[in-house]
Amino acid sequence: MKFLKRLTLTAAVGLAVGWTATAWAETAAERAVNEAKKYSGTTITIVWEAGLQALDPLNFSGPKWKELTGIEVKVVEAPIAEMFTKIMQEYRAGTGAYDALNVVPAWMPDLANAGALEVLDPYVDKYGFREELQKIAPTYRDNQMTVDGKIYGFPDDGDTFVFYYRKDIFGDPTNQAEFKSKYGYDLAVPTTWKQFAEIGQFLTDKYQPNMYGAAFFRSPGYGQYMFQERFRNEGGKFFDAETMKATINSDIGVRVFTEMRAENKFMPPGVEQFGFVENLAAFLQGQSAMTLSWPPYGRWAAGYGQDVEAFSWVPKSTIAGKVGYALPPGGHPQLAAGFALSVASTSKNKEAAYLFIQWLNSEDVSMQRVQLPYALRDPFRDSHFTSAEYEAKWPDAKAYLATLKQGAETGLLDLSLLQTDKYEEVLRQAISKLWAGDDPKAILDQAAGEWDAITDKIGVDKQKAIYQGWAAKSGAYPQ
Amino acid sequence: MAGMAQTNTIDGASGFAVAPGRAPDRYFKYWLIAPAILLLLAIGLFPLIYSLIVSFQRVTMLDEDYSFAGLVNYAQLFRDARLWQSLLHTAIITAIALPLELILGLLMAQLFLERLPGRQIFVSLLVLPTVISPIVAGATWRLMFDNRYGPINQILGWFAGKPVAALWTVNPDLVYLGIILCEIWQWTPFMFLILLAALSNVDKSLTDAAEIDGAGYWRTFFKIVLPAIWPVMAIAILIRGLDLVRIFDIIWALTMGGPGTMTETISVYTYVQGFQQFETSYTAAMAFLVIVLLTVIVTWAIRRMGLAK
Amino acid sequence: MTIDRPLLRRPAVALSLRYAAAIALTLFFVFPVYWLFIISFKTPEEIFAFPPAWYPKSLQFANYAVLFRDGDAVTVWNSLVLAGASTVIAMVLGTMAAYSLVRFKTGGENLAVWIISQRMMPPIAIVFPIFLAYVWLGKFGGFAWVDSYHGLIVLYTAFSLPYVIWMMRGYIEDIPLELEESALVDGCTRWQVLWRVVFPMARTGLFATSVFTFVFAWNDFLFAFVLTRTEVITYTVQVTHYFGGQSNFWAKIAAMSVLGTVPVFFTVATLQRFLVRGISMGAVKG
Repeated sequence: MKFLKRLTLTAAVGLAVGWTATAWAETAAERAVNEAKKYSGTTITIVWEAGLQALDPLNFSGPKWKELTGIEVKVVEAPIAEMFTKIMQEYRAGTGAYDALNVVPAWMPDLANAGALEVLDPYVDKYGFREELQKIAPTYRDNQMTVDGKIYGFPDDGDTFVFYYRKDIFGDPTNQAEFKSKYGYDLAVPTTWKQFAEIGQFLTDKYQPNMYGAAFFRSPGYGQYMFQERFRNEGGKFFDAETMKATINSDIGVRVFTEMRAENKFMPPGVEQFGFVENLAAFLQGQSAMTLSWPPYGRWAAGYGQDVEAFSWVPKSTIAGKVGYALPPGGHPQLAAGFALSVASTSKNKEAAYLFIQWLNSEDVSMQRVQLPYALRDPFRDSHFTSAEYEAKWPDAKAYLATLKQGAETGLLDLSLLQTDKYEEVLRQAISKLWAGDDPKAILDQAAGEWDAITDKIGVDKQKAIYQGWAAKSGAYPQ
Repeated sequence: MAGMAQTNTIDGASGFAVAPGRAPDRYFKYWLIAPAILLLLAIGLFPLIYSLIVSFQRVTMLDEDYSFAGLVNYAQLFRDARLWQSLLHTAIITAIALPLELILGLLMAQLFLERLPGRQIFVSLLVLPTVISPIVAGATWRLMFDNRYGPINQILGWFAGKPVAALWTVNPDLVYLGIILCEIWQWTPFMFLILLAALSNVDKSLTDAAEIDGAGYWRTFFKIVLPAIWPVMAIAILIRGLDLVRIFDIIWALTMGGPGTMTETISVYTYVQGFQQFETSYTAAMAFLVIVLLTVIVTWAIRRMGLAK
Repeated sequence: MTIDRPLLRRPAVALSLRYAAAIALTLFFVFPVYWLFIISFKTPEEIFAFPPAWYPKSLQFANYAVLFRDGDAVTVWNSLVLAGASTVIAMVLGTMAAYSLVRFKTGGENLAVWIISQRMMPPIAIVFPIFLAYVWLGKFGGFAWVDSYHGLIVLYTAFSLPYVIWMMRGYIEDIPLELEESALVDGCTRWQVLWRVVFPMARTGLFATSVFTFVFAWNDFLFAFVLTRTEVITYTVQVTHYFGGQSNFWAKIAAMSVLGTVPVFFTVATLQRFLVRGISMGAVKG
C-alpha cells in the first residue's frame, strides 16, 4: 500500500513537473513572435548591410516575420563603409527613422557612448532571452555584446578568418617528397608564418604562372585586419597598458610588415590590389593554393549555394572537395568585423524592434539563417557548429564547422576603442605605404605617432579606461 | 553686318537697358532673376549659417559640445599639415587635368565641327563617359587597372612586347597618372560638347572671309574663333576647375587617397573627417577655408578672363 | 591639323584623316564603357579571367531581367525623374537669370560671384545641415522632405542653378544685340524677346548646358544617399548597394549602368540637331 502511494505520488509529481516544463518550454523565438503579435500592422525599419547580406531580411526573415506577426519589416540598405554614418546622422538629427540596427561590434563603444543604442538588458530579462544568449559561442558572446557591462547588441555573425588551403596539393606525394627534401619538414598546414613563406615560395616555384603558393586580399581595408591578427599572434601589443602609448612600431610590428611585403613576391603579381572578390576569384579558379578569408569562402569553394541566382557574381568553384580548413599560422584568427543586432535609442517602436532581433538571434531562427544558401551570416552559436543538418551539406562541412568553432574559441577581437575608425584609418594608410615601398620602420613609427596623437585628442585617461576594458577581454590578446 | 563687331562684347548691353518709354521694364530684370536667387537663398543660406556657427563650436563624434569655442578649429587648420598637403594634391591634379581636358576638348570640337557622316553617333558615344556614375566609372577603371584581370596592362604588354605589371593604384609613381587618366577620360567630353556648341555659333562667314584674305589656319583661329568662343570657354574652364577641386569618386574608387595620403585631395580629406569620423566642427572650418581660397582664386580668375566687365 | 595645307585641302584626305582621328578618340572614350557593358553579359569566370576576356561568349540577358524583377530598375526611373525635373526647372529659371545678368548687369559682379560660390562649398560640409533642415521642415511642414521626390528636386535645382546661370551667360553673350533691339523696335515685349529671339538663338547653348545639368544631377551620390532611405532611391545610390565588403555584384553593377546610360544616350542622340545651329546670321553653313 505504502509503495503504491509512493508510486502515485512520484508519478503525480513527475507529471506535474513534466507538464510545467512543456508548458513553459516556449522557445525565445516563439515568445518573441507571440509577444509581437500585438504590434501587428505596424512597420519596423532595420538598417542592414547592402548587397548579399541584405538578402536575408529581404527574402527570408522579413517575410517570415510578417507572416508570423503581421509586422512589416522595411530594410534600409547601406554599404558597410557608410552604415555607421547613416546611423549617426539619423540619430543626431533625432528623426527616429530607424528601429533596429546592424552594428559592427567595433563601433559599439562609439555608438553606445554617443547614446545611439538602446540598452537591451531590461528587454532581455522581460522576454527571457538570457538563456539563449548564453549559448552563443563564448568569444562572440563575451566580447561583442556589451559595453561597460550593459548589453547593446546581440552578436549575430560568426565572422572569423579561416585559413584555406588546397589539400590536394598539400597531399600530393610528389610535392611532399620534394618539399621534405628541400626544407626538412613535412609539407603540412603552416603553423608559423615562416613555414607559410617557405611553403608559398615552394609552390609558386613549382606551379606558376597557373597557380601561386598563396594570395591574400592585400588591399588596405582588409590588410589592416590581417595585420591586427598577425601582429598579436607574434606577441605584439597595440598599446602600453600603463602609458597608453602605441607600440605597433615595436620590433614585432616591423618584422610583420617586412615579412608581409616579402611574401607578396610569391603571390600573383598585383596582389597588393586584391580585394575580397579578386582574391575569391583567384582561389576558386585554382590560381592560389593558400589563402585567408571569412567563412563564406569555404562554403562557396565547396559549391554550396552556387546555383542560387544571388551568386551570379561568384566564379564557379573548380576546387570543390579539394579545400582544407585550418587556423591561420599562430593559431588565433581575427574575428574581423562581424555584426550585432541592436535597437536604436530614438526608435518609436523599441519593443517591436527588440522582439524582431530576439527572434532573429534565437536558436531556432539563427540556425535557419546561417544555413541559407545565400547567407553571409556565419555560424556563431554553439549549436550551429554541431548541427547535423549543416554537417550534411557537403562532404567536408563537418571539418569546416569544426574549424569555425576552433576559430571562435581562439579568435582575436578587432581593436575596439573610442573612435576606432581613426586608428584603423592609420593602419590602412600604413599598409598602403608598405605596398608603395616605404621603409617598414619609418611607416610604423609614423603610424604610432599618429595613434598617439589621436589618443591625446580623445583624452588619454578616457581612452585608457576603454582600452583596459577591451584588453581584459579573453579575445583581445592570445591567452 | 554692322553689328558683327559688337557680337562678342557686352558693351552694347548698357545701351540695351534704356528702351523707349517703358518704365515697368525697370523691374523686368529683377523678375527674371528673382526665382533663381530665392531658390539659391532658400537652399544655400541655412547650410552656410549652420556651418559657420558649428565651426566655432566643438561638435565631434563623441561630444556634441555646442558652446562657443572661439577660433580653435580655425587655429587647428593652420597646424594641420595633412590639410595643406591635400590642397597641394588638389592643385596638382587640377593644374594638370584642366589644361589637358581643355586642349583635347577643343581639338575634338574642331574635329567634329564640320559635317562628318555619322557625326550624330560619334558625338552621342563620346558623351557616354560623363553619364556613367563616377562611382561606377571609378570601379570600372579599378577593374581595368587590375594587373591580373584587367585589360589595360594586357594592352600595354602588347605594345611593350612583354608582360607589364604596372600597379596603377598602388605604385606611387603611377597613382597620379592613373587618376588623371581616368579623370580626363570622364570629363573631356564635357569640354568637348560645350566647346562644340560654342564653335558652332561662330559665324562661318567670318572665318571664310579670313581664309579668302589669305590668313593661315592658326591665325584665323586665334584672332577670330577664339575671341568668339571665349565667354563660353572661360566659363567652362571655371566650372571644370571648380569641379576638379571637388574630385572625389574616382580617387576613392582607385586609391582611397593612398598610398598613405599621397593622392588625398581636399574632398577625400573632408569626407574622411566629416563623413566617416564626424568631426563636424572641424570639417565646417575646413569648408570655409576652402570657400575663402576658392573665392579669392575665382574672383581673380574672373577678372583675368574678363568675365565680369 | 598642322599638316601640309594643300594636302589637307583635298576633301578625301581631310575626311579620312578626320575619320581616323574620330575613331581613335571614340575607341579611347568608349572602351571603358564597352568594358563595363560587356560585364553585364559575362559570366563571373569571364569577368575574372586571366588573361582578360575581350568579349562575352554569350549574351545572356538574365542580369537585366533580375533588375526589373527585383525592382532595382525603378531607381533608374527615379533618377530620370529627379534629374529631368530639376534640369527643366533649372534651365528655365537659370537662363532667365543669366539673361538678366548679361543684359542688365543685375547685381553686378558681386552677385555673379556669389552665385558661382555655391559651387565652391564642399558637399560634405553642407549635406548634414540640409538633412537637418529637411527633417525640421518635415516635422513642421506636415509632409516629408526627407526621402521624397520634391525634396531632392528642389535641392538639385538649386545646385544646378549656378552652373546653368554661368554657362548661359556665356552663350547669351554670343547673341548679337541688334537682334533683340530690332525685335523690341518691332513692338515685342521683353518677355517676347526672351522667348522668340533669345531662347532660339541660344539653342546650342541650351542643349549643351542642359545635357550636363542633367548629368550632374544624375551622377549625384552624396545628397541622394543621405536624404533617402527606402522610398526614392536613386540609381547612383542603388549601384553602391552592389559593392559589398564580401561581395561585388559586378553583373548587376554593369547591367544597371547600361540601363542608366541608355536613356541619356538616346536623348543626346535625338536632340543633337540643337547642338549645331543651322541658321546663323546671314550664313547658312554648318
